[in-house]
Amino acid sequence: MKKIRKNTVIAVLTALGLGTALVSPVFADENFRTLDEIKESGTVNIGVFSDKSPFGYVDENGEYQGYDVYLAERLGEDLGVEINYVSTEAANRIEYLQTGKVDIILANFTVTPERAEEVDFALPYMNVALGVVSPEDAVIESLDDIGEDDQVIVISGTTAETYLVKNNPEIKLQKYDAYAEAKTAFENGNGVAWANDNTEVIAFSIENEGYVVGIPSLGSADTIAPAVTKGNETLLNWLNDEIVSLGEENFFHADYEATLLDTYGADYEDTLVIEGGAVSGSETEAE
Amino acid sequence: MDMNVILSYIPLYRDALLLTLRIGWQGVFWALVIGLGCTLIRQLHIPVLQGVVTVYVELLRNTPLLVQLFFLYFALPKIGVRISAEVCGSLGLGLLGGAYMAETFRSGLDNIAPVQEESALSLGMSRFQTFRYVIFPQAAASSMPGIVANVVFLLKETSVFSVISLMDLMFTAKDLIGMYAKTIECLTLLVVFYLIMLLPVSLLGTVLERRLRYAEFGN
Repeated sequence: MKKIRKNTVIAVLTALGLGTALVSPVFADENFRTLDEIKESGTVNIGVFSDKSPFGYVDENGEYQGYDVYLAERLGEDLGVEINYVSTEAANRIEYLQTGKVDIILANFTVTPERAEEVDFALPYMNVALGVVSPEDAVIESLDDIGEDDQVIVISGTTAETYLVKNNPEIKLQKYDAYAEAKTAFENGNGVAWANDNTEVIAFSIENEGYVVGIPSLGSADTIAPAVTKGNETLLNWLNDEIVSLGEENFFHADYEATLLDTYGADYEDTLVIEGGAVSGSETEAE
Repeated sequence: MDMNVILSYIPLYRDALLLTLRIGWQGVFWALVIGLGCTLIRQLHIPVLQGVVTVYVELLRNTPLLVQLFFLYFALPKIGVRISAEVCGSLGLGLLGGAYMAETFRSGLDNIAPVQEESALSLGMSRFQTFRYVIFPQAAASSMPGIVANVVFLLKETSVFSVISLMDLMFTAKDLIGMYAKTIECLTLLVVFYLIMLLPVSLLGTVLERRLRYAEFGN
């Protein structure tokens, strides 16, 4: 029995040590491709959502579509390379950049100070705030309407989650990995409300009968921007120049009209679109 | 690696470990019950039920847990059957585990040559005595490694619980990475906590195996 015990201790220690050692070096060095390397390779890897209509989704023909994808297509064209779309989930967008799995994230990525420490954001191309959607027979119009035992659905890794964890830790959250699962769970009545980017909850309430966006704007007004791996200056500068020059041709209005008009109508066009990276206030007047 | 980050995350991981263990062990319990039930039905050759068991075992063993959880959690409410996420988790594990356990028990019983039963009966032992003193000890001994492997397998399968919004270890790690991007710390803690959960099970399994198979090990 003594022998077993000694071996056991050794085995346990080895396993713990190996386990810890295994994960540590994987993320040790930075990992990105410069603008020239991307052009040379002939392919750019762009991380987009595949389940988040109308921003990034796969249509019935298996093609990527949406507001983000419309921009991605243009970036590929102007870079002169093929696009390899990589489907991402909210929670792994930073990872994908840090490990070099994608060159650019174009997945409805809200700019926040915490995220800006981990990745580099280019100029913004859309406005966003948080919103809360609920069934019309039990509308949540303020966070105070949420009862002690009620659960609010959020998607893991989104700004809605971070905001509620930070500012309203008393609210019980029901977290999902992906948009599609959160949507089904909400439709099944698993939560009293769903908190997410207001663009998304508005789209949801328009596309699905019986739901109302009781809280159309929560927290600070934020922007959405492309992101690259921290330190990838050549690509970042190129993106910034590109967004400014796209603004001159009113590209993002065209993008809105091609991808978002069907969902939101014309009313939201000027509140959502950012042209040439100029956030409202400093907005250059563009017709 | 930032020690302060690790320390501040430990309570979250501890909660996740407790939830994982709670649901995991409920799953293992149901797996053993269902597995034994299936084995009994098969051994006693109960008509109709025997066919049901065969269908059940093949259906559950040949579909991923992820699909089963999706079905329990997302599809059933559409027809009015509403089960909480935790119950879905333990039920899913129990159903999947039951199919695996049934097969493991069967292989244990199959290992025993029919001559043993015949000999025991001819020595004047009753059917119950034969099972209790001849068949069962040997079957338990030979299926023990399989049972332990199943238990470890089931506890590891809890890592897909994120789809039904259960904050198990895996989802807690993913969630924290998504919010604060402290990847190295989160993944290191994840590995350590899985080992904390599973190493004792493996060790206990080894000890049990040695005790049950004393005839083979000779000590």
